Parts: sequence; C-alpha cells; structure tokens
Amino acid sequence: MSVLRPRTVLGLARAEAWLLVRSLLVLAGLLAGGFALWLYFRQMEQPTWWDAAWRIGWGQLILGMAVLAAAQLAAGRVRRNGLADLYASFPATAPTRTLAHLAGLAGAVPASLLLAGAVTAVLQARGAFGTPDLAVLAGGPLLVIAAGAAGVAIGSRFPHPLAGALGALALLFSSVTSHLTSGAAIWLAPWQLEADQLANLPGPLAGYPPARAHAMELACLAVLAGIVALAVTVRHTRTWGGLAAAGLVAVAAICFAGVLQLRPIPTAGLNQLVSEVAALASVQRCTSASQVRYCLYPGFGAQLPSLEAPVDAVLAHLPARPAQPLTVRQVAGLSLPDSTLTHGHPEPEVSQWTAQVQRAPGNASAAPASAIYVPLAWAGGGQLADAHFDLALAAAEWAVRLPGAGGVFTSGEEFQPCVPVDQAREAVAIWLAILATHPPAGELEAGLGGLGTGRGFQGVEVGNALVPAWNSPGSGSVIPPGGGPQTTAVGYLLAKEMTGLPEARVERILDGAWPAWLNWRTTDARLAAALGLAVPRVSAPSLPPRVTGPDASPPQAAVCQ
Amino acid sequence: MPVTSRARLSWLRALPLLARPITLTMPWPALLAGCLAGIAYLAVLAHLGGTLQPLGPGNLRLAFLPAIAAVAFVPRAPFRPLTQTTPVPAWVGPAGQLLLAAPILALTCWAQLLIVAHTSPPHTLSHPAAYPVIAQFTGWCAVTVAAAACTGRSRYADLGGAVAAPVGFAAVALAWYAPITGRFMAEPPATSRGVTVAWYAVASFASVLTFVAMRDQWHHYSRKVR
Repeated sequence: MSVLRPRTVLGLARAEAWLLVRSLLVLAGLLAGGFALWLYFRQMEQPTWWDAAWRIGWGQLILGMAVLAAAQLAAGRVRRNGLADLYASFPATAPTRTLAHLAGLAGAVPASLLLAGAVTAVLQARGAFGTPDLAVLAGGPLLVIAAGAAGVAIGSRFPHPLAGALGALALLFSSVTSHLTSGAAIWLAPWQLEADQLANLPGPLAGYPPARAHAMELACLAVLAGIVALAVTVRHTRTWGGLAAAGLVAVAAICFAGVLQLRPIPTAGLNQLVSEVAALASVQRCTSASQVRYCLYPGFGAQLPSLEAPVDAVLAHLPARPAQPLTVRQVAGLSLPDSTLTHGHPEPEVSQWTAQVQRAPGNASAAPASAIYVPLAWAGGGQLADAHFDLALAAAEWAVRLPGAGGVFTSGEEFQPCVPVDQAREAVAIWLAILATHPPAGELEAGLGGLGTGRGFQGVEVGNALVPAWNSPGSGSVIPPGGGPQTTAVGYLLAKEMTGLPEARVERILDGAWPAWLNWRTTDARLAAALGLAVPRVSAPSLPPRVTGPDASPPQAAVCQ
Repeated sequence: MPVTSRARLSWLRALPLLARPITLTMPWPALLAGCLAGIAYLAVLAHLGGTLQPLGPGNLRLAFLPAIAAVAFVPRAPFRPLTQTTPVPAWVGPAGQLLLAAPILALTCWAQLLIVAHTSPPHTLSHPAAYPVIAQFTGWCAVTVAAAACTGRSRYADLGGAVAAPVGFAAVALAWYAPITGRFMAEPPATSRGVTVAWYAVASFASVLTFVAMRDQWHHYSRKVR
C-alpha cells in the first residue's frame, strides 16, 4: 500500500509551485488579465468599488484559464511523455505526485494577488468611490486555485494538451453564458460576466453580489476538483471510500453555498436602493458653477470637473443664455424588473419597486427642457471623449433652445425624437459642441454611416420624405434636454464647414442676430448665406409607399419647433 | 522535361502511397473533440435560451475557439529529422493533414452557422452577416496553423499545438480588443466588408508563413551533436 509522505509531497509541491511561478502560460494569463482590466477601466470616469471589485474577477478568470491549462500540462506530463512505467518505479507514488500538483497550485497565488493588488492600487489612486469588499476580492484567488485544481483533475485523466485548452474554454463559456439563467442563479457560475447591474447602483447593496457564499462555493469547487484528481490516480479501495465520502461532503458544501447565494436580497436594502434611484432630490447634493447646477450622488464629486469642462466650453461661446438655468443631474440608470435583484420577494412589492424605478428620472420618457441627465456609468466601457462630446452637444442644444419638444411616443412607449429639418440652430449647436470638445474628424464623419462612404444611407421619415440623419459620437451617453432631437446630416455638414471659418467671424455673425438664429423657422440656407457658405447637398432616396394594417410603418417623426 | 526537374518531382509518384499513413497519423480525436465541443456549446445555448434570446455572431465566435484550439494540433511532423532524409519532402505530411482537416473545419463552421441561423429571426444572419464571420474563422485557423508550423520548426517542436493554441487565442484577442487593430478587424467599428478583407489578408499572410515554415530544412540542434 502506498504511503503519502508529507516531506515528499512538500518537496515535490515546492518544485511544481516554482514551475508554475515561472510558467510562460501563467505569465501570459497574468498579462492578458491585466490587459482586459485595463481595457475596461481605462475609460471609466470614476470607478465605484461595489462594481470594480467584481470586475477585477474578469482578469482573474483569464488568469484562471491560463492556470488551468498550465496545471493540466503539468499533471499530464508523465502520461503524455509515455513515462508512466518509469515514474511507477520511483519512490513517489502517483497520488503523492497528484497531491504535490494540487499543493503546487500555491505557485499561481502570487500572480493572482499581484493582479488584484495592482488593479486595486491603480483604482484607489484614481479615486474609486467606496471601499473594496475583501470577500469579493478574495474570490479572485479562489477562482484561480479552483481552476488550477480542475486542470490537475483533467490532466490526471486526459494528458493531451487539447484537454486543458477545452477545459479553459469551458470555464470561459460557463461564465459568459450566465445571463441565460435567471434570478440569483447568475452567481452560481464561476464568475458571471455582465449579467448584473452593479454599474448602475448609486451605492453598495448588501447581498449583491453574495460574495462570501460565492467564495465558499469556489473553495469547495477547488476541494472537489482535488478529490477528483486524487480519485483518478488512487488504486486502493479503502482510499477510494475516503475520497468518495470527502467528495460527498464537498458536493454538499457546494450546494449549501449555492442555496446561500440564492437567498433574496434584504427588503430594507432594496427599499433604500429604490428610494435613492427614484427620489434624487432627497439624496443628491447640488452645486452651482457658471450658473449651471450640477446634482450628483454623494461621493461622486470627483466627476464634477469632467462634467463642467464640456458644458463650460459651450457656454463660453454663447452670446446669450436661455432664461431657464441648466441643471446637469446624475441618474442611476437602474432598470427594473430585474429578477437578479428582486428574486424571492412578493409580487406586489416587486411591482411597487418597478413602478417607482420606471418613474424615476432617467428611466421616464425624457429629461425636462432645462436638464441633462448623466448616467452613473456614463463613460463606462465607452470612449470618454465621445461622452464629453455628447454632453457638450446636449448643452448646446439647450443653449439654442433645441430640446426634443415635438418628439412623440410610439405605441410601444418608445420615444421618437423630433427632427430639426432645415433649421439653422441645429448647425449652430453642432458647431458649438465641436468647438467645445474638438472630437476627431473621423468619428464625426462616422456618424454619417453609409452616407459618408457613399455606400449606404441612414435616414428618418419626416412629412412623407426621408431626411438623411447624422448620429453624433457617443450618442446616448447622456439624456439631453427634452429627450433631444435627431440630428441631420445637412446640419452636421454645415457645422463642419463652419469650423473651417475663423471662429471670431462666425461668433460675430451669430452675435449680431442671435434671437433670429434660435428661431426654428430660420433655415440652413440663411445661415450659410450669412457665413458665405453653400448649403451642403445630400441626396436622399424617395420613400417607399406607406404600409397600412398590422404591419404598418412606424409613425413619422415630427419637425422640432 | 530536364532531368533535375524530373528528379525533383519524382516524389509526386509516392503521394498515393502516403495517403494512408497521413490519414492514420492525423490527430482525429483532437480535431473532432475541438469541432464537436464548439457545436455542442452552441447546441446547448440554443436549447437553453435560443428561443428567448437569439444567438448572435458573438456566440458563434466563441464557439469557433475549441476548433481553433484543435487545429493547432493538426500540422505535426513526428520524426522530422528522419523524414527529412527521405526523397519525399518533409512538409508533405503536415500539408496532407491540413488538407484533410479543411473539410472538417468547413463542416464545423457550416453546422455552427446553421445552429445560430436556426435561433435567429428570419433574414438576420443571411449572407451579408455570415461572410465576415466565415472570414474571421478562416483567419483565426490560418494564424493558429502558422503558429503551430513555426513552433514545429523550433526546439519546442513537441509542444507545437500546446504553444500554438494560446498563441492563436492571444492573436484573436489582440486583433479584437487592441484599440489599433480593433478598428480594422472588429465589427463594429469596421464594416463587414472591411473585416472580411482584413481577415482574408491575415489568412493569406499566415498561409505563406506556414508554407515557408513547413519547407524549412533547418535542424533543431543548436550545437553539434558529438
């Protein structure tokens, strides 16, 4: 009968751990994980710890995939090289070597801690709001160890390197498909990606994610994988019995951790969340700068300069401001119904929360005519420069009295913006936004879609005619006053030509008859003539005949007034 | 025909005889496991949520990854120092294996497109949406094969597939997510046509690299064997 000698196991484990520390695969996984996190966080204005701590797990998942493949290669080394008989003659038995492989997974921990520590330090230095939850962060190294243990289990049975690659992909697939489950079941995946609303929370919410229970699940998964790896290599019936019993205990613990994760989020927490989302005035702090009110959630003050810069740059070019002052307000962007948040609560309570959240600013139809709503994660995952342009354009639209008044709701309660067809104030607004933020010309041109390349057309139907449209960079980053208009291709092209003229000359012409330029009846042709430009010509295809009946065409957009 | 050319091409007569050993040495289990894993993943997705949430190009690209990993193990030339001494060029074996793998990969791509199309509303994955995806699959396969062929000519020849698979994944991830390459190789911001052209260009370059690597006569030994 084989005897597990602790000293032999420790000696082998030290060697395996050192190999794992030096493994190129693990190093590549560390770099790839860091790169993925850099891509995610680089554009984020001010990260929040309740969101960021979970996102760090994405990087750990990538590192875990690499560790799984490396551990599989290590555990399958003997059989892959056809040296099983030779190793059988050594004093260290197969279970001893497997145990050493499992203990050697400690070699992957430094990489995991380095990743978590480095990202934590960077985010802290960037002024991340809140405090990191250690239980969430601890889940990362546990995920890496569990993945490594799974790699050892796979390698003990399947030595071919492809098995490790497929195991790593299975880990990835289980995480990217967590959105197919409903309710709290999303947390049962090793590390769910993007099925949550953490980025839309104005503050931490207890039990979302269920970090401690999830860490327990990962730890038990690691133990179970280790038991499976040992069971594959052990040949003695008595040891098998012990391993089976230990395996059952691990499975029971995983189930228990799963049940803990499926518990409903406390009602008090959800009540507070809904009130923070719906009753902004009672929670937010407002400050005034340059006669503009900025209302932000407590702790988000670091975003103020980033919001002020594009708005101030627009205001600096204005000859006169509207009588009603502008308010820039942060909104949570939380969306209900969402079973990941409200699972396990009675239906009437959920309906009440849903109704409150749906009436909340930002979720309701449109912002008032003198307010711009900025979502919490307004530049999250997107281009910060684009988000700045969108904010500047919204401020400029307010300045030229071009809110979406005249926008209509379709039967599906979807807001359809009005279109400023042949209105000089649209070109002025776009010109102001371009002057304020100086976006790259390529991104502005991209808004023309196929029209810019001569290979297509994007338009909106107004008064039985197709009007070529222009989608501004970062469109949708903010909610403009009154919902905002649908900008037109002609408006953009005229604004682009205006940027080619001396700034002082354009400002002098605009200052001279500012009220006239704000009139919705003042045409592009009049503005172009005043500036000595030609009105850009954009040819639009003729409209197909309208369909009536159940497949009727969507309602036509209205002209902004 | 000159005598030298005739002698150079005399190995062509041995090709029919090589068909059987090439087929037998083909890593069928690895290739089929990779191809079937991707199909199984899509089938499970389609079964679980396909009716509620149609599968899209994103799911399809993920499902390609197991096949990409598998194709890394296809071009193998065991006992290369020995086969290099025979009249038949050493690259014929790996090239034959790649030729055998091509229809399997095409079949896998077709089956996966079919599964995704089955869950999508009509006309959403018709010709214009499918061709960039096919170009990407071709490009990914070609890059991975090139990595395997290059590793096969290094001192780590035995780890050709194990090295090429992560290299292929890394190349795909870099092409997709790196801000510079993403503009040309990922859709959006690149157009379908742009993505197709870019990936076929990559595939062409990778194929040339594979060809050069497989024809390389360099011995693996870094110092003289005594």
